[in-house]
Amino acid sequence: MLDRQNYLKVKLFLTYSRKVHERSLLQISTDFEHLKILLVWAGSQPLGSMHAFNNNLSDFLSQKVEKGLDQADVQSILKTNQRFLLWGKAMFLVEFQNIQLNWIMKITTISE
Amino acid sequence: MSENQNNSNCRISRNVLIKAPGLLPMLYRPREIAEDLDVPETTLRDWLNHGAPHSRDESNHIWIHGKQFAAWVDSQRNARKKPTHKLEAGEGFCMRCNAIVKIQNAEIRPIKGQLSHLKGKCPNCGGIVNRGIWNAGSSELPQG
Repeated sequence: MLDRQNYLKVKLFLTYSRKVHERSLLQISTDFEHLKILLVWAGSQPLGSMHAFNNNLSDFLSQKVEKGLDQADVQSILKTNQRFLLWGKAMFLVEFQNIQLNWIMKITTISE
Repeated sequence: MSENQNNSNCRISRNVLIKAPGLLPMLYRPREIAEDLDVPETTLRDWLNHGAPHSRDESNHIWIHGKQFAAWVDSQRNARKKPTHKLEAGEGFCMRCNAIVKIQNAEIRPIKGQLSHLKGKCPNCGGIVNRGIWNAGSSELPQG
């Protein structure tokens, strides 16, 4: 069972992207699909503790998600997740305090 | 506690059939599922009354498990499919009864080549039932 609070944060981010960054409905829909991978990766654990997860997001993507994804798709998914985490760090100061900024910046690095 | 009040089939739009498998394995509120599937909340509540899986907590709030709901949507898609069955000799489809029936007082009239026209009456409503048949023989005429 996934953590509902993580889901609510993602929905809040999508609302913010829609209203503040004026992203289109299609972009919002794509972002949501990308962020669902983050939610599944986090599982029942809060996003604030994601830096302590055993495997990183790009490894999870290559293991769990369908093999049809090419490098550009993976990069796009990781970029969306990075945008969300940067937003989360600014919005939820206490909850995301243990997540370092350089950890978020490194999330788009795809391990070989 | 799960509630299933009415298990009749619901009309599920194609859009919902496509989006439902993307629901996450977590508990949703009706409004959240309605937003994710892009349907009015009243429609979703109607589906809940028609047997969509959901539960209520001690405060009587409705919770819907995403994967269970997706499985229910899939079952509705399959439930709406009519069972296909090839017409046997002497059978026809009655448009009034909307069902396959044994044609009574059947007559075969050749049309062209091997194509023939089988015409008779429905045993239920008495309406005329027509059927086109290839290679018509006496086996096409119902016995009795």
